Amino acid sequence: MSKLSTQEQVTAHSESSFSAKNVGKGVLRFEDLKIIKGIRGYADDIEFADQHYAAVLSSPYAHAKIVRIDVSKALQVPGVILILTGKEIKSLTNPMSSRAATKSPTSHYILAVDKVRFMGEPVALVVAKSKYIAADAVSLIEVEYEPLPVVSSIEEALKKDAPLIYPELGSNELIFDHFEFGDVNKAFKEADKIVKQRLKIQRYGSTPLETWNVNAYFDKTREELLVYATDQQPGRTVQSVERTIKIPASKIRLIVPPVGGGFGNKLAIWHFVALMGLAAKLCGKPVKWVQTRMENLYAFHRPRGFMDAEFAMRKDGKILGVKLSDWQADGNWPYVAALYSLIKFANMSGVYEIRNLSFEYRSVATNDPPIVQDRGVGKPFMSFVIERMMDIAADELKLDKIAIRQKNLIPTEKMPYTTASGEVYESGNYPETLRRALRLSDYNLKREEQARLRKEGRYIGIGLAEGIEPGTSNLGYYFLSKADQPDYNGAGQMSTVEIAPDGVVKVNMNGPEIGTGHVTTIAQVVSDVFGLEPSEIVVDASFDSTLGHLTYAGTYSNAFNDVYIGAVLKASEQLKNKVLSIASSVLKEPKESLFLKEGYVCKNIQTAEKLLSFKELAKISYGRLLSFPKDQEPGLKVVAAYVNPTAKPFVRSDFNVQLTHSNSVHVCYVEVIPENWNVKILDYSIVHDAGKVINPIIVEGLAIGSTVSGIGGAMYEEFVFDEQGINLSLTFGDYLKPTAMEAPELRIEMMESPAPNTVLGTKAVGEGGAITSLAAVAGAIEDALKPFNVRITELPVTPEKIWNWIKQSNEFKRISGGVR
Amino acid sequence: MVTVSMKVNGKNYSGEVEPRTLLVHFIRDNLKLKGTHIGCDTAHCGACTILWNGEPVKSCQILAVQAEGADLTTVEGLELEDGKYSIEQESFREHSAMQCGYCTPGFLMMTRYLIRNNPEMTRDEIREQLHGNYCMCTGYQQIVDAVQDAQRKFIKSRK
Repeated sequence: MSKLSTQEQVTAHSESSFSAKNVGKGVLRFEDLKIIKGIRGYADDIEFADQHYAAVLSSPYAHAKIVRIDVSKALQVPGVILILTGKEIKSLTNPMSSRAATKSPTSHYILAVDKVRFMGEPVALVVAKSKYIAADAVSLIEVEYEPLPVVSSIEEALKKDAPLIYPELGSNELIFDHFEFGDVNKAFKEADKIVKQRLKIQRYGSTPLETWNVNAYFDKTREELLVYATDQQPGRTVQSVERTIKIPASKIRLIVPPVGGGFGNKLAIWHFVALMGLAAKLCGKPVKWVQTRMENLYAFHRPRGFMDAEFAMRKDGKILGVKLSDWQADGNWPYVAALYSLIKFANMSGVYEIRNLSFEYRSVATNDPPIVQDRGVGKPFMSFVIERMMDIAADELKLDKIAIRQKNLIPTEKMPYTTASGEVYESGNYPETLRRALRLSDYNLKREEQARLRKEGRYIGIGLAEGIEPGTSNLGYYFLSKADQPDYNGAGQMSTVEIAPDGVVKVNMNGPEIGTGHVTTIAQVVSDVFGLEPSEIVVDASFDSTLGHLTYAGTYSNAFNDVYIGAVLKASEQLKNKVLSIASSVLKEPKESLFLKEGYVCKNIQTAEKLLSFKELAKISYGRLLSFPKDQEPGLKVVAAYVNPTAKPFVRSDFNVQLTHSNSVHVCYVEVIPENWNVKILDYSIVHDAGKVINPIIVEGLAIGSTVSGIGGAMYEEFVFDEQGINLSLTFGDYLKPTAMEAPELRIEMMESPAPNTVLGTKAVGEGGAITSLAAVAGAIEDALKPFNVRITELPVTPEKIWNWIKQSNEFKRISGGVR
Repeated sequence: MVTVSMKVNGKNYSGEVEPRTLLVHFIRDNLKLKGTHIGCDTAHCGACTILWNGEPVKSCQILAVQAEGADLTTVEGLELEDGKYSIEQESFREHSAMQCGYCTPGFLMMTRYLIRNNPEMTRDEIREQLHGNYCMCTGYQQIVDAVQDAQRKFIKSRK
């Protein structure tokens, strides 16, 4: 997109009649009134009459042939009404296919057919009249496996004679592609120094406290499948379920009640919706499945992988060109293979001017468990690579870490800025964000303190990272890799706003509420349109597929602030316009003289004379059709779809993966304790620019929370596997999350560089901390360990890893007096 | 099946359960009190925390039959009789100490116990006391703020 068209957008949106009164205020969340009473109404709180329960038998092997399954003993347990295995699934359902990878296997079903490919893969499903009976019956199913060689690393998977995860594909490489922008060879020829490093990322992932839930009932009288599920992407689920179990989408009603945490983890639930939907149809009973925590930890993580980065540097610190080669172990889940790599285009250049850039990537199938688009998808690792490389380049060129960043930051006068691949950074002030972060964190004082304390033998470090937080997926980019027409491209949502027959303003954004304050945020926006208080707006916190939605409806990709607000605001303004037209006709007053305030149509701005209440207006609009204006349609309900207008169609030389770009600077201050090589975060400062903020309390909470989730990835969290692909991290005793004891106190300051291409100037906020924190924490620990000459290129930085890095160093010999 | 009887939120309940029924399942499935949640199955996360004769316990690790005769409080028992929010509820709301809210009932029960038993806690001590309650959303900062505030309110209410 050119600079010009962005400015055109500004003009288009400034014509909106919106005036902010409640937008921008720290309104306390209405959601919380239910939560603190324990009556939020999560999926597991809902029960059908004659509720039955499902339990899943999972594979104990990472790779094995299924020789035989015997369900006879399990079927004899009183109360068991249905057992499904791969045999039934193969005859009743279609296999799942790839969304982005060029090759699509034909043998991956919603239950394992003939073969298991990861530990934890569902092998059989039992439905019984109680959850205890279902679990009993699962333990009585006998399965004979014949173990197959396990492919557990990228290197092994790509060997010529490697066992194939999907033999029908002929290779474990699901996709390989190469992109080049600018003149990379010239940049590398002209460089004073080439800085090279391989950086690694471990398997980790968000673990929402509420696990996955599906409750399905097939109503024979309506031939309709009704499902309650903890689904972050229900619009797409309906489509996938139709394709898989062959129930028409128009006969699937999917409802998503308030969700107990999403983080992307619940974007992969659709195949369990399909499985329970099929089971419910076959057995005629409502079937509820509540995932155990162990099942939640078996699978659906972020992929492990590594990236070879080469930076062509001028000796003054200017980046001339960058080469990136990305290797990603996407496990075996062809559905989203390659997504982590593709999404990296959104923040591949970070906050820097990098005109010459090449990127090649491989998505590799292994016996790792499946992956899901976890918080930020490929963006956290991408930001980790860029920001670590900035620190490493500074070290190698003997430059200051702040100075090298300042040298390369995109200057404010170049905003909006189009990156080498075509990503449009629509707004932001990166030098100012950095300046404020240095001030907020007392950076210079900390450097002095660090020097002082080091003389006392303490290992203190400061890490700094400046990151881009892209939001709003332009979904078609998945099909950069595919020649055929994508099912989805662009970015939009559809929502409904109405004045109900009782005169109350009701909103259904029609997306899952995953805990990020949508109800309150929408109430603030809509109240401003109708001249009401936020508490007077009724906002539905659930999704219902029978109400207006686009097929990619869902809460993901940091897009709520953009496309859902866009849809809700558009519907509200259309409804307001209709209200004023009806009122003008009924009251015989010119429309321009009327406005809305306190639940009334009013005239005269000074005196706000109340002419007609919403209640009365609703009575006329829904019931008194003879006194209703003939040029209007009765009823006060508007369904509107909003599309972000800046999504570009895809060409390989110029594409935008995401449509908004928040940014932040994180400054992390740590101490490494030599007694046990534990790391204590002493101070953590964030300056965050998410554009226009609708509710500062909510935005600040999200920025802090996502940062602590990133700290988990940087210091604690890793799914560990043995050489047979056995997952050793199946409880929270083994998979370590930060608790209140580990989480630091955070200082946070907001900046507002409004986005010109969203209706209110808002930008993304839910992922930023998870993106930018990794490099800030790693940089701080590396800085603390400077006397030991450590370079941190992988996460999580655990005490064990630190010990292994430092134990051969001279500094360690010095402080330990040579004792080991 | 065996019969168990206990007091929950001041009311007497009894019900027929299999001896192996977990207390949290009895509370959720038999008593239909859905505010007590299950987050981990292994006593790490604290979403199922309730008070047992005033002491916090993780109800996913206890059989319903073990609670025979016990006096239990769940999140549904926090609200005052006149419909007003309790100190813990008020503090959590005022400090926006929740996002998805799934962990909140467990934190509220833990807070009720902590402010009554150790009202002089520092911020670090609060963090230590809360380490058995996981929150995946907030990063804990506003939760610690809320507990501190609840402490202050509790002390004031006693004066």
